Amino acid sequence: MGKQVLYIEMDNCIGCRSCLAACTQCGGHDNRNRNYVLDVDPFISRQTIPLMCLHCVNPACARSCPAQAIQIADTGAVLSALVEKCIGCQNCTIACPYGIPKFDEEQNLMYKCDLCYDRTKEGIPPMCASVCPTNTLQWIEEAELEEKRAQIPLANGKWTASHDPDVLEGETNVKISLPGILQGKQKLF
Amino acid sequence: MPKDKFLKVIENKIHPNEKLVSTHCCYCGMQCGMNLRVDTTTNKIIGVEPRYDFPVNLGKMCPKGVTAYQQVNHPDRIQLPLIRTDASLKGTAEGFREASWEEALDLIVSKFKELQHNYGKDTLSVYSGVSMTNEKCYLTGKFARVALQTRYIDYNGRFCMSSAAAGLNRSLGIDRGSTIPWTDIHQTDCLFLAGSNAAECHPTSMFRIWEVQNRGGYLIVADPRETPLARRADIHLDLRPGTDLALANGIVHLLIKNGHIDEDFIRNHTNGFEETKEVVATFTPEYVSEITGVSVEKIVRTADIFGRAPDAIVMFCRGVEQQSKGTDNVSAYTNMSLVTGKIGRPKSGVATLTGQGNGQGGREHGQKADQLPGYRKLDNPEHVREIACAWGISAEEMPQKGVSAYEMFQLMKDKTIRSLYLLCSNPVVSAPNLNHVRESLKSLDFMVCCDFYLSESAEYADVVLPVTTWAEDDGTTTNLEGRIIRHRQAQDWFAESKPDWWIQIEIAKRMGRGQFFTHLKSPQDIFNEIRQVSKGGVADYYGVTYEKIDQNNGVFWPCREEGDEGQPHLFLDKKFYHPDGKAKICALPYRPPAEEPDEEYPLRLTTGRVVFHYLSGNQTRRIPFLTDMYPDPLLEVHPKTATRYGIEHDELVTLKTRRGEAQYRVKVIEAIREDTVFVPYHWGKAQSINLLTNPALDPYSKMPEFKACAAKIIKHKHGGVRHG
Repeated sequence: MGKQVLYIEMDNCIGCRSCLAACTQCGGHDNRNRNYVLDVDPFISRQTIPLMCLHCVNPACARSCPAQAIQIADTGAVLSALVEKCIGCQNCTIACPYGIPKFDEEQNLMYKCDLCYDRTKEGIPPMCASVCPTNTLQWIEEAELEEKRAQIPLANGKWTASHDPDVLEGETNVKISLPGILQGKQKLF
Repeated sequence: MPKDKFLKVIENKIHPNEKLVSTHCCYCGMQCGMNLRVDTTTNKIIGVEPRYDFPVNLGKMCPKGVTAYQQVNHPDRIQLPLIRTDASLKGTAEGFREASWEEALDLIVSKFKELQHNYGKDTLSVYSGVSMTNEKCYLTGKFARVALQTRYIDYNGRFCMSSAAAGLNRSLGIDRGSTIPWTDIHQTDCLFLAGSNAAECHPTSMFRIWEVQNRGGYLIVADPRETPLARRADIHLDLRPGTDLALANGIVHLLIKNGHIDEDFIRNHTNGFEETKEVVATFTPEYVSEITGVSVEKIVRTADIFGRAPDAIVMFCRGVEQQSKGTDNVSAYTNMSLVTGKIGRPKSGVATLTGQGNGQGGREHGQKADQLPGYRKLDNPEHVREIACAWGISAEEMPQKGVSAYEMFQLMKDKTIRSLYLLCSNPVVSAPNLNHVRESLKSLDFMVCCDFYLSESAEYADVVLPVTTWAEDDGTTTNLEGRIIRHRQAQDWFAESKPDWWIQIEIAKRMGRGQFFTHLKSPQDIFNEIRQVSKGGVADYYGVTYEKIDQNNGVFWPCREEGDEGQPHLFLDKKFYHPDGKAKICALPYRPPAEEPDEEYPLRLTTGRVVFHYLSGNQTRRIPFLTDMYPDPLLEVHPKTATRYGIEHDELVTLKTRRGEAQYRVKVIEAIREDTVFVPYHWGKAQSINLLTNPALDPYSKMPEFKACAAKIIKHKHGGVRHG
């Protein structure tokens, strides 16, 4: 099995929050979700989008951590702060451009998505992507990602928001396709 | 695509000292596969894991499914039978004391006998549900007719699936909710969904539905609201609630006019085309547009795409069925498949999205007022003889046909019915016109309610019996495809609770009718009786065994012999289930909803669900994650309508119809028609939208018109906007 990545197809999201519910079921998450879903414009439409940690290749949360409490796993997963190292300064929560790390006041500890490292290191999809009923969150092999890239190119030759090094944190391990990817889709008949 | 290797890793490394029990979700008709995590030291269910080997959902789950296990050991579970000590407190959670099973059962039987002695056998009634296993559904029908010997039994499927059943029976001669397996859906070229908010009601269908578009196929959605499904559709037919019949006739009109019909199929395999052609002739796009409010262009484009599609599937759900012409709507949409011949082959057909977990199986085994197991009819003497013989009673002993669910409440009010045995349902939330229903329950001499929580309906009971949840008993259900699957017991019966089948057999014994029941000692015994009794019926389960279900991950009925693998696709031989083997294309004149908006009530109220709750909310409102996500019902209003009434987002207003009123917070959103408002129905007491809904019944299915009635908004003097 080749390397697998989390791939997000924004347009598919129906706002069911299964990913949140599933996240609470992961080991050690203490019934707290570490991913989020946003209503894009609740007065107008029911369009929602998931807000997941993108597991940046060069993550701002880790860069900003004075205690080196945020480790990056060999799979590319950016892990939750190590309990023994985290000093509770919350630099990471400020640094992250996506608002992912959250702070637990009681434990004086940051917590964030670790891409279900205990699962993904064994080849099992992360809980959020496992349950996502709409295929908004997909756990796919890189070859499959290349196929998708070939199928749905944008007019400017790009196709993901997270691939372009100029955008926000640059390259991320999680890939996103923007809403509207079906606009250029060739119909069957 | 079985991926059991994952489960070994999960079990051994991620969750040591636990076992995984492969079973299915308890909620909607998808019956998604899931694994329950069971602590092997305490033998308690403590969590959930995806189950990848069940082909319908492939590991996917909705938020209800993910948290479903939390209801099993919930602190609200009833531990012991409850007996009412203060009748004046009926309708509240107060005035009960705990009792032993012996005492509760003795009281029930003595009351039943006394009432039957004074007022006749039919003074008792049974009102059941279809969120329970086939075994329980079947036994409930037998319990009512053989143990209690009453004609009055009906079930909450009357509010859920009965129009689909009646419509499919009339058109196709068989009521299996889907003519294709769900694994065909993503392979079709055009998916037409009417009155289905599948994204919220059947979310695990969505990855297949989106796949149709990903492959370049078309998605067409008919819905008064721009639901998450309609948001992305190629065409959103934003029709007025209650006007589906005109829309369907209009599409069939254009299919015929444009030559998009299959003449060979119509000639060889259908009846009724000429009459239908005559009726739909007047349904021009302009006329249909006038009735439905959908633009002419959209109607024309829909018919063109559907007509040209090599394969197409028509799907419908409660939006179409919960109308006083729901049966006609179902047949009218089925006409689209029949005139184009897009049925009876893979990737083409019709399907209804089943709301309740066992909405399919529950209507096959004789819980309906007019029906006996295997879809046999009570007004057919031959059918009555067959079942009476199988049950060991004489045909003369078989009670007559009863009345439908809503009609039973009327009989309670006039004292024809004096006692109710209620199980697996919460009608004081889910029935229409609730003020009337609540009065009816109050007027009963004696009421028994079986539930695992003290539901709003249980609060009206004289005796409440604690029953097991879905995860504490074995059994089968039949999902929305017609696939019979296994639910497995994952933990012991909670506290003193008992399964419904155990309770019914105990009552039967005490009623002096034990000889018809005592051979049934387990769910599998009951299933084997279903197999025997359904043999030769339309819903034939004879060839289905627990072992075959395990081997094949479910078996589709009809399955007539032990060597039969079942039928995922219906009508592959182009033989429909009417006596002449032909389907019926139905000529259906349009009629408007039973209640149209007028000056006093200028809006159309429609109701439905949200993704976080199930049916009356008795289960899901107790799950913290789900209540956090959607705590109270909201009244969806278009911004222009809100401006007209001078109301703001989040303002508390009163919504009123001719039957009642209730207060809701306003949710302003453009994704709804200006002439329509929407409220979800999962809440009880003063928040129940069914205080307002119209009980006008469909003449064939007796299903009430939940989806369309006239309403008005009353602004409160002091606004009551909640900020922050």
